[in-house]
This record gives sequence, structure tokens and C-alpha cells, in this order.
Amino acid sequence: MIAARSSSFSSLQLAALASAALILFPLIYIIALAFSADLDVWSRLWTTRVPELLWNTVFLAGAVAILALGLGVSTAWIVTRFEFPGRRFWELALVLPLAMPTYVLASVFNYLLGLGGPVEHIWQLVAGPQARIFSPQSFMGVTLVMALATFPFIYLLTRSALLNFNVSFEEVARTCGASSLRRIFFVTLPLLRPSIVAGVALVILYVVSDFGAVSLLRYQTLTYAVFQQMTGQLDNQAASILSLLLVVLALLFLLTERWFRRKSRYYQTAGRYRAPQRFHCSWLQTVGLTACLSVIMGAAFGVPMCLLIMWSFSPEALATLDARFFGFVWNSALLATLAATASVLIGLPLAYLASRKPTWFNIGCLQAAYAGYVLPGPVAALAVLVLCLNLIPVVYGTVIVLVLAYVLHFLPAGLQSLEPAIQQITPNLEEVARTLGLSARETVRQVTLPLIRNGIIVAWVLVFLQTMKELPATLLLRPVGFDTLAIRVWLEASEEYYQLAAPSALLIVLVGLPALVLLLSRDWRAA
Amino acid sequence: MGRAAACAALCLSIIIIPSVATAADQLTVYSGRAERLIKPVLDQFTAKTGIRIALLSSGTTELVNRMKAEGTRSPADVFITNDAGSLEIARTAGLFRPLSMREVERAIPPQFRATDNSWIGLSGRFWIIAYNTTMVKPDRIKSLLDLADSAWKGQLAIPNAGSEYLHAGVSVIRASIGDDRTKKFLEGLRDNAGTHVYQNSSQIVDAVAKGQVALGIVNHYYVYRHLATQPAAPVAVLMPDQQEGGMGAIMNVAGIGILKHTPRMEQAKLLVEFLVAQTGQKLFADLDKEYPLHPEVQADPALIERKNFRAAMVPLAKLAELRAPTLRLIEQVGMR
Repeated sequence: MIAARSSSFSSLQLAALASAALILFPLIYIIALAFSADLDVWSRLWTTRVPELLWNTVFLAGAVAILALGLGVSTAWIVTRFEFPGRRFWELALVLPLAMPTYVLASVFNYLLGLGGPVEHIWQLVAGPQARIFSPQSFMGVTLVMALATFPFIYLLTRSALLNFNVSFEEVARTCGASSLRRIFFVTLPLLRPSIVAGVALVILYVVSDFGAVSLLRYQTLTYAVFQQMTGQLDNQAASILSLLLVVLALLFLLTERWFRRKSRYYQTAGRYRAPQRFHCSWLQTVGLTACLSVIMGAAFGVPMCLLIMWSFSPEALATLDARFFGFVWNSALLATLAATASVLIGLPLAYLASRKPTWFNIGCLQAAYAGYVLPGPVAALAVLVLCLNLIPVVYGTVIVLVLAYVLHFLPAGLQSLEPAIQQITPNLEEVARTLGLSARETVRQVTLPLIRNGIIVAWVLVFLQTMKELPATLLLRPVGFDTLAIRVWLEASEEYYQLAAPSALLIVLVGLPALVLLLSRDWRAA
Repeated sequence: MGRAAACAALCLSIIIIPSVATAADQLTVYSGRAERLIKPVLDQFTAKTGIRIALLSSGTTELVNRMKAEGTRSPADVFITNDAGSLEIARTAGLFRPLSMREVERAIPPQFRATDNSWIGLSGRFWIIAYNTTMVKPDRIKSLLDLADSAWKGQLAIPNAGSEYLHAGVSVIRASIGDDRTKKFLEGLRDNAGTHVYQNSSQIVDAVAKGQVALGIVNHYYVYRHLATQPAAPVAVLMPDQQEGGMGAIMNVAGIGILKHTPRMEQAKLLVEFLVAQTGQKLFADLDKEYPLHPEVQADPALIERKNFRAAMVPLAKLAELRAPTLRLIEQVGMR
């Protein structure tokens, strides 16, 4: 199969192989470490910690996925299918929670819903002084925080699918006499499925590998346990065993997702495209929709932002705004830009080959790249550290090590949007370009790249945003004196200095905003 | 093409520059202590000597792991942390260089240093029971071991299984009462704490002060730090195991070691000298509410007078060898 003689084994494939190898190395390292552990260690972990951790992780991922799915699809539907005053505003606003790190959201909810917090006070005014609300440090609390932090993934992908959606499919269904509910469930939603499934996949992988929220809300998942093993114990074997479990879990899930998506591949065949008619709302309907969206956005972004701004302008916080602080801002922006650019450059050949020449080799490379997301941040960091120290010691202690870890960890997030973008263009277009005399390289440059520009931008922005917020790998790998905003938030918040953490948290959000605006700007939308 | 190359060169230089600035008048310090507690002290040192400090704050064990992995390539010159066990582990891993300094021997009593002075204690901290004054009568509890009593179910907050101070504390208890009783004790703690297992001590003090739990096990200074910002909080300190024949309070120290391969030995020695001298010790005592180890420096007056309580008789250097079996026991019990 690996036919070096044929020209099909191109330089593109070499690049894909190199990227896959880069990403597979840490995985192999973890597996080797896990299997070098005594049977004793395995059985001890298996009888004490594993059942609880596995159950907690799966249960949380499932619950968050369901809640985020509901929030994401319904909000996307509202802003694409209804016309009401403020629609444009909400369309933009709904992606804002993506700029809010889970550990910031978690600490805000700790404050809001905590014992003696403002929400409890309000609730006691209504239900009497003895009334209690659910603790944020519970399954419900974590689920709520994680769903609020992640539903925009589903919203974004569903919305862009709805905007690119050719309404003639629905019209055909209508002329055949299908009711509107029937049209939604048997025509529209199935056509949206690839995008929705990709969104849910992002959410689940995000939840499974999240460290910030679960550690602040003290909910034991595999990733949290791995971090505790790595930072609290002196051997990494137990950590690697738990990581391996995490990897298997995520792979199972990814294969399921792939199987779902394999069965559905839709191309737009006709050149003509028509946007759907929006439903014009009465004022009552407008009030209803606005109230709905306000509650969701208030919880996910509005209230946390207000608190951050309030805390940031406290005298203690203002005192920390010096030259050092702006150094942190620069460090964060630099890292995020490098990681996002590198991820797109590495991800493109992988996604392209797997989609256009789906040989086992190409698909294998792509699947390998997805492995990075399932390696928890701290473990990916450890593997990168070992790799760098042994193979390229020159880069150790530089930013390059960090960028490698980020690419490893976030490339799948980019691929999740590159892949559908490529899949949505029919190969016919490229074939036509070739028959008209363009070379393969020219075809990519003049036909493919412009058509998938949206996908590339989304991928870049997603990786940029996630790098801005990334915590565990940065904690373990940052060069001395090279702190980022996320590190500042963590150092202050983990010592309970919320006011001091607020300016950095606020800036992470603010720096993320232009990227989000780019994500939604008219410019690249539904060409 | 030329432009692209220039661009790449620029990018590379931006990436490399922040990491090569290790001049002779700069020390790189890895610190397992919270930045807030150590940076002001180091800033004073810079002000006095002109030696700048590049600081990396992180978890203690995490940094020991990192230094081990980095080996002789480690940029660290000095390691400062809050657990004698971790310092001793770093010493046995051959990371430190033994010191012979008259200033150290004069200032810090020998039981707070490694046998070859490759690490030196800087300040003392004690395991205490923090209790909510509206929920608990302090005379109900004499010993840490009482916390395993099922009467406290759901009322107790404890640190998570990864915390160094839990490892050190449990090691001392094992050395005092043996493995079997320690195991029963830990099982009791685990059941009483339930989900009240915290990442760091300030969260435990907070939970006790808010009445989410009645009791918590923490290092003493977290309570005093909490009281310094919220004097009205209903939380107080109980010094356990002082009864006749009891094992005594569990002590640990924060300390410092100089890495073996450092080319900046002179500067590193200056830092050690600064920290063990009276002014440095006073800074620690005032800022962090810890017990200074220099016999002539006074602790904060808010603290329980050091003369008035007794510490457990387990040498600090033993914490390292006790740790591996302690970890196994903690894991066996299935603590989070």
C-alpha cells in the first residue's frame, strides 16, 4: 500500500505522515509507560479509583453533551430562522462564551451559587430563610458550567450549516406535503447532522479533557485525577495508566462519531443556492425569544463579565496593572497566534488527504492526529518534554516546546472544522479544474483553498481561543519567567485572590473577542 | 523568498529571546511556594544585592519531577519549597549541592537542615485543626485521630491525596502509631470527608469559615491569613495531640536547596545568606505567618506561642523515606 514507486505517495503524504508521527509519539510514550507498570499498580488502581473516575467522566460528558446540544441547536435555529429586533446582536453574542475559560466561569459560579452567595440570598427572599440551592460543587453544578462554556461550539457549527443550507431541499419536502415538524425532523436535521455531530464531538472531547472547571468545582474526572497524580506523586506510571484509559474512552467515542458521519455525506450539486425565508415575529414572540436568549447569555457571559469588570476595578486589582502585566498579555497573544497558525498548516494536508484520497494510510494519519485531543494537557506536556529533551534539546526552555504541546492538544479542534469544510465541496469542482488544464498545485491554490477559506478561518480562531485559555500544559512547560494570562489567573485564583485574578481573566476574554468577531464577520460568511 | 526568510528569522528571534536572558547577575528560582508568599521576599533580595530573579512558581512535586527530567540542562539555580520531604527527595536524587556556610550553621538549628546541608529549612509550619467556632466546642477534640470518629461524618474537610502536606502529615502519624492504626484513621477521614476534599488549604479554611464543614485539617498560617483579611470570620485554631503521651503537633518546614550544576554558586549563596539572616527570617514571619527557624526572630504575636506546644518527634529528613509507603497506604485506602 505504501507505494513509494507511484506518484500518489506525494510530498503532501509525507507531511501528513510527519504530523501524525509528531502527534503519535506522546501516545506511544504513554502506552509504553503504562505497560511498564507492575500488575500490582494496575490492580490497585482498578479496585480503588478507576470505577468512580470512569463513571464520573462518562456521565459528565453525556450530560453536558445533551444540555449543550439543546442550547446550541435551539439558539442557532432562533437566529437563522426567525426575524426579530436584536437578531443580529444575538447572532454575534452567542459565540462570546467561547472566550470565557472554564476555570473563570467555574470560579464565578462558585461565588454566585456558593453558600451565602448572591443567588442563595435572592432565593431565600422567595422561599424563606432556610432554603438552599444546589451547590455549584456538585454534578449539577459542573454540568451547568461546562454546558454554558461549550454550547457555542454546537451553535457555531449548526448556524453555519443552516446558513449554507440549500433551502430547496425543504421546499421539495413541502411540495410533497410534509408538515413543518416532519420537515424539521426528516429533512433539515438529518442534513445538519454532520455539523451537529462535529459540534457534539468538540463538546465531549472538551469536557473529557477539561482540567479547569472540574478542579475548581472538585468533581473527579479522569483528567483531573491524572493531573493530581502527576503533580502530587513522584511516579508518572499511575498517571499514564489513567491517561491510557482516557485515550481508550475517547477513541471509542471518536470511532462512533466517525461511523455516524461516514453514513452521511451530502454535496451541494446545483450551482444555485437560496437562503431560507426568515419567519417574522410578532412583538410577543420577540419578547419570548429575547427573554430566552437573555437568560442563556446572562448565565454564560453577561453576569460573569460584570463580576470580572467589577473585580478588575477594585483597588487591589488596579495595583497589579504594570509593565509586567502587559508582558503577560504579549506572551499569551504570541503563543496563541503561533499555535493557531501551526495547527492550520499541519491540519490542512491531513484533512485534505483523508477526504480526497481516503486510503487506510491517509485516514490513519488523520485519526492519529485526533489522538492529541484525548491526551490530557498535563500528559501531553510530559511527553513533549521528554521528546524535546532527548531529540532536540536546543528548543527546551523555549516557546517552541509550548507550541508543540498546544498543536498536539488542539489540532483536532481545528480539524473538526477543516474536515467538514473540505467534505462539503464536491470533488467534481477539482476534477473539472484539472481537466481544464490546471496542475494539482494550481487547483489547490485557485479552487480548493478559496472554497474552504471559511473552514480555515474557523479552525485558526478555535485554536487561537483555546490556546489563550489553556492551563495545564502551560503550567508544566512554560519557560522560566514566561507567564501567560491563564497562568496569572490560576496562580491568583487558586490562592482565592479572585480580585487579583480578575484583570487577567478579563483580558483573556477581551483578547479573544476580536478573534470571535472575525469568526462571525460578514466577509467570509455563506459565499 | 528573501522576505520570507527575514520574516522567519524575526519570528524565531522573538521566540528565542525571552529564554536566553540568563545573565550572570540573574538567578533562576523554581518555587513550590505560592508566588504571593515568596516574591516580596525575593524582591527585597534584588533591591539589596542587584541580583535579578527569574521565578517559576508551580507545584512542589511537579517541580521535583521537572528538575529530574531536565537533569543538568535545568535552567534552575535554586529550589525553594514548602515540604522537607520533597527537599530530601531532591537531595537523594542528587539534585542539590552540599553547602558549608557559617551563616547557615549559626542561624538554623541542625534538626531543620539536611545532614550535609544540601537543603536548609527557612520557616516552620504546623498541622492544626481549623474549626468553626459556632459549630464546634474545642474541648471535644484532643487529637487528630479523633477526626476519624464517625460523629464527624460530612463535617470534615481534608486536602486531596496529591498534597505534599498530607503526605508529610500521614508519614509522621505512621511513624508515631504504626501502619494499621494509621490505615483505620485514614479510612475514617475518607468517610467523614466524603466530597469535601480540596485542592488547597485556603479553600478548606474558607469552607470551615462559611460553615460548609465544621472542621478541617490545614497548615496553621492559612487560618491566620484568613483572619487577617476577615477578622470576624468564625474560625479558630486548635493545636492537636498535646495531651499527656500524645504524639505532638506535626511539623514541616519550607526550605531551600542549591542545584548541583549551577554556574552561579556565588549568587545562590548570597540568596541563602539573605534568607537565613534575621531580616530575611523576619520577612517570612511577617508576610506568611510562619514560625521563623532562627532562634532570635519572633513569630507573629497572633500565633500560638511556639514555647507553649510540643512538636512530634519525627526528624524532618526522615519524611522522604517514609513517603513512598505513605503514598501506597493513601492509595490503598482510596482517598481522592
